[in-house]
This record gives sequence, structure tokens and C-alpha cells, in this order.
Amino acid sequence: MIIEDERAMATEMDTFLKKAYRCDLAATGSQAISKLDDNTYDFVLLDLGLPDMDGLQLLQQARKICPDAAYIILTARGQLEDRIKGLDLGADDYLPKPFSLLELQSRMQAIARRKFALQDVIIPVGDFNVDLQKRNVYFEQTEITLSRKEFDLLSYMLLHKNRPLTRTQLGEHIWSNFADDDYDSNYIDVHIKNIRRKLSAYAAVDWLQTIRHVGYKIKI
Amino acid sequence: MKLFTKLTLFITLSKMAVVVLFVLVLPFLVEDIAYKYNDFYLREQKKKVLQVIRQNGIDAYLQGEENYGSYTMLKEEYISLEPAGKMIIPDTIATVQRVVEGDTLTYRVLSHILTDHQRPFMLEVGKKTATISQYNRPLQRVALYVLGGLIIITILIDLIFTRLLLKPLGVIISTRLLNRRFPFREQASPVKTSTTDFRYLDDSLVELMTKINEAFEKEREFTTNASHELMTPVSILQTKMENLLVDLEPYEEPQKKIMGMMKTLNRLKKIVHSLLLISRIENDQFPKNDDVSPQLLVASIMEELEHRLEEKQLRFSAKLSAEQVLHHLNYDLIFQLVYNLLHNAIKYNRDNGSIAVSDELLPTAYRLIITDTGIGIGPHEIDTIFHRFRKVQKSTVEGYGLGLSIARTIAQYHNIQINVEATEGKGSVFILTFPLN
Repeated sequence: MIIEDERAMATEMDTFLKKAYRCDLAATGSQAISKLDDNTYDFVLLDLGLPDMDGLQLLQQARKICPDAAYIILTARGQLEDRIKGLDLGADDYLPKPFSLLELQSRMQAIARRKFALQDVIIPVGDFNVDLQKRNVYFEQTEITLSRKEFDLLSYMLLHKNRPLTRTQLGEHIWSNFADDDYDSNYIDVHIKNIRRKLSAYAAVDWLQTIRHVGYKIKI
Repeated sequence: MKLFTKLTLFITLSKMAVVVLFVLVLPFLVEDIAYKYNDFYLREQKKKVLQVIRQNGIDAYLQGEENYGSYTMLKEEYISLEPAGKMIIPDTIATVQRVVEGDTLTYRVLSHILTDHQRPFMLEVGKKTATISQYNRPLQRVALYVLGGLIIITILIDLIFTRLLLKPLGVIISTRLLNRRFPFREQASPVKTSTTDFRYLDDSLVELMTKINEAFEKEREFTTNASHELMTPVSILQTKMENLLVDLEPYEEPQKKIMGMMKTLNRLKKIVHSLLLISRIENDQFPKNDDVSPQLLVASIMEELEHRLEEKQLRFSAKLSAEQVLHHLNYDLIFQLVYNLLHNAIKYNRDNGSIAVSDELLPTAYRLIITDTGIGIGPHEIDTIFHRFRKVQKSTVEGYGLGLSIARTIAQYHNIQINVEATEGKGSVFILTFPLN
């Protein structure tokens, strides 16, 4: 369930997430509570700035009604206390706005792996297997060593396979909120080049595509 | 010096001065009183002698002789009568020497001329000077003891009273001013005092603190609201673009345009983020409870930045003491501060250049020194690099000049001194001085 009072924002999240999840929308706290009473949800994405009630209060109430769901707090208020309180009150994650939808989905996947143990931890790509749990890449039985950043990049792209990813999106995921201001820099390309070099020693990596002027895509 | 100490000193010293003065003056005073009393005694004796002579007649004493003299056994007092010249002189009292039975002794003597049947006689009543001042010393001693006792009692009373009087001031200082960390979260109860001056001082301080708190809370509310109002539209735009990028598959031209938009939006996002960060730091929204090891900090920052070194083939070296730990810091902010400086050292460096991080332990401070071989900073620019939206003009690198501004804000927030030494074209040295206490 997406609890978000900004209609445009809710629509975009719905558009993006409905490819993988069934989504329900609520624009106010009371609406959210009545929906939580009637249905069960795996994920509750909760915007803290609701018109009719305090988001953190809603979080407490919602967790009583629906204790098994995973809660992710979304907020543009940027208050540090919100993050601490939110996690104390049992939220599973916290994303400050503006966030990338890709980042949201990747957090949801991570929670799903951790909390529901639903996700496959070993994902095949081309002739390789990527173990998300052990953070390793295998060709048949051989382990291929990637640096931490390279693995982060590969697993993030794998999660969002068949989707064009810009350098900005990738950079944001890997270097998070540190003010990296020069996006013309080619550091993402350097990492991609390294990944290609390391993997192509074993098998073809044609699944890792370059989209001219835009970025990269894993096509499976 | 504290007010109480000053008052204590003043009270004690002033009373000591009184004692010293008294000790100096006392002998003269006692002597003077003794002599005055003695003179009065001599006059009384004279009156009695005259009365007795009038009753009995002078001849009863002369018994046919020219003179009459009488003294006590120890020659402490004497009375004498002898014929005198015709002239009339008033009574005189003087300290003179007399020979009594061969002994030359000093007497205080009253001389009086009396006339009996046309015969003038000189009457002398004398008292030995040694007996006059015989009580001086014991008297002085007793007077000193009494005075000393009184002085000690008054000093004690004064000090107790002063302490009681100044107690509210001490309470005001300790609860309102000392060790108060801004913002003043706990509301203090008014200090108990009947002194209107202290009452006024306390009320004014509490009022000032409340006003500061209110302004501070307003600012906090503002940053929260500004954050919400600015970030929500950015957030909507970003998600719309992300969805659009997927919708446009596989058309590369429009995708390229969307990517350009996303890049611009990202720039906006970073600027807003940085400005809000500065406001939040200035609004004291970050707790400072972390212990930070500079060595580990630099290591984890370089893990983030390593890939950037390769781009320019930069050499990096860090010589930091392993056991140094800095206290009362906010780890995330200090990370950001050093990150920004190291990031700049890479960004503005030349190909095949180098970056060195070293430290220095001073008696009261710890210094972290970041040296680069970059483009440096011109003398006319060195004062403005920490200002918002400034960047080194000659650089061709895109930037918004907020990195150093954030660095300065974080440094100020932690009382860290930040200094720059730079030569244009040769490189810069950034020095962070952490206070150690």
C-alpha cells in the first residue's frame, strides 16, 4: 500500500511498482487505516507528511493492525529525528525524498530477502551466477572477484534488468548522498569497463549493454 | 575574581587596617587618658589640702618651721609647702624631677600659690610618673583582646551575610549561564531571591533564553517546511522522468533528452540538499556524541574516492596516528567535511599529481593536514572560497561552490578551525585544527 497525499507522486509510484507488485493507494491517514483493516499488505510505503494525522502515529497504529507488513518511511521533511523515531517504532527502512524509484524498489527487494526470505539469492545472468547473499559472482565453479563498488553496481543493474539506467541513477545508488557534483565524470564507465574486463575473461558479456548517451542496461 | 571573593577580601583587609591603626594609636591614647585622669586627681588633692589648711590653719603644719613636706612610704606621692615670692602665678602642672631623701625621682607636680596672713606659700602636690602609667600595658592588652574578638565576630557575620545575599547570584550563574548547551530544552524554575536586582537579572535571562528558543524553534520549523515544499515537487519530477525513461524504450534520442533533464534536476536536488544541510547544522539539529578515529575516517573516505584517483593517476598517502581518537563529534558531518576536502583535492588536482594527509598533535589541539598538488588558489580568492556559490574561477570543472561552504559550516559547528595555505598553480594545504578537551 502506498500512503501518500501528493496525487502525482502516488500515481508515479503506482505506475512504477505495479509492474512487480499489486498496489493500493491511500491519500490520508484515516483512509489508510480503513484499508489496513480490510486487507493485508506485504509492504506499506508511508509518507510522514499526511494532512490528517502525524505519520509516526499512523505507523504505530498500522503496525498494530497489520504487524507482518514491511514498513518503509518516505519523507521530504528531512528531520533526522524522524529517521531515528521511525526506525525505533519498527519501520524497516527510511527513504528521504526525493528518492529514485529504482532505489525504492531495491530497498523493497532487500527487505523481502531479509524479512520474507522470498527472493532467489542466486541470480543467473548470461553464463554467470550472481549470489546476492554472499556477494560473489561465479562462472561455473570459479569465483570471480569484483570490488565492493563493482558488485554493488552489477547487483543493482541486475535488480533493474531490462531497464535503461542512467549514470546519474547508478551513481546515486552507489555514492548515496555525498555531494558528488560532477556527473560528467566517467567513473561509472570505469567501473562498467572493469566489470566487463573481469567477466569477459570467462564468457561473453553481451547482456551488459551500453545505451549511447544515456547509460547502461542488463538485457536478459 | 568572583564577587564573593572580592567582598571577602575587602571585608577582611578593611578590618585588618582598623586593627593596625588601633594598635598604633592605643599606647598614646592610654597614656593620654592616664595623665589627664592624674591631673584631675592632683587638682582634687589640692582642693582637699586647701580645705584642711583652712580648717586647721597653716601653722599647724609648719610648726614654726619655714617648710613642710609629707610623702608616703614608697615616695609615690608627696605634698610640700614652702615660702614663695610675691608674684601671683596660676596653677601649673608639669613633669619635673624632685630629690626626695637623696633619691632623684620624676613626678607629675601641681604647683599652687596660696597666701596666709600676707605670706605667700608655694603648695606642691606630686605623684610619681611610674605609678601613673602602671596600668597602661594591661589596659592595652585587654583592649586589644576585646577588639580582636569583636573584629573576628563581625568578619564572620559579614561573610555569612554576604554569602547568603549572593547565593541567588551563584544559582543564576550556575543554572542559567554555566554549562548551558543551546538550545535550552529544559525550562528552568525561577531562582528564589528577595533581592530585586537578582530577580530582575534572572527574569531577564529567562526571557532572553525563551526568545532565543522560540526563534530557534521557528527556524527548525522553517527548515522542515522548506525541505518538504522544495523536495516534494523535485520528487514528483524525478519519478515522472524515471517512468518516462522506461516508456520511451527503445527510442534513444528522447531518452537522451530525459537524461539531460534528470541531470539538471539532480543538480537542483543537490543544491537544495546542501542548503538545507547548512541550515540544519546551523540550527543545531545534529547530535555530537560520536568518537572518531581520523585514521579510520580517512581510510573509509578513500574507499569511496579510490576510483577517482585512478582517473588522474594520482598518488595518495596518509600518515596518521593509529591511536588518536577525537570525541564529541558527529561522525556523518565530520565524514562529509573531510570527504569534501579530499574530493576537492582530487577534483582540482593535475594529472600524475599527489595528495598527502598527515596529522600533528599539539598540546591542546589535533591537526589534520591535507596537501594537494592541484591548481591552488589565487591570493585574491583565498578569502572567498568558503563563501556560498563560489568556485575557483580558472577551473573548468563544473561545480556549485557549496562543498567548501558546507565544510566551513561543519567545522564551525564543532569548533574546528579550518585554514588554507595555497600557491596558485602549485597546490593547496587545508588544515583542520580540532580542539582537544
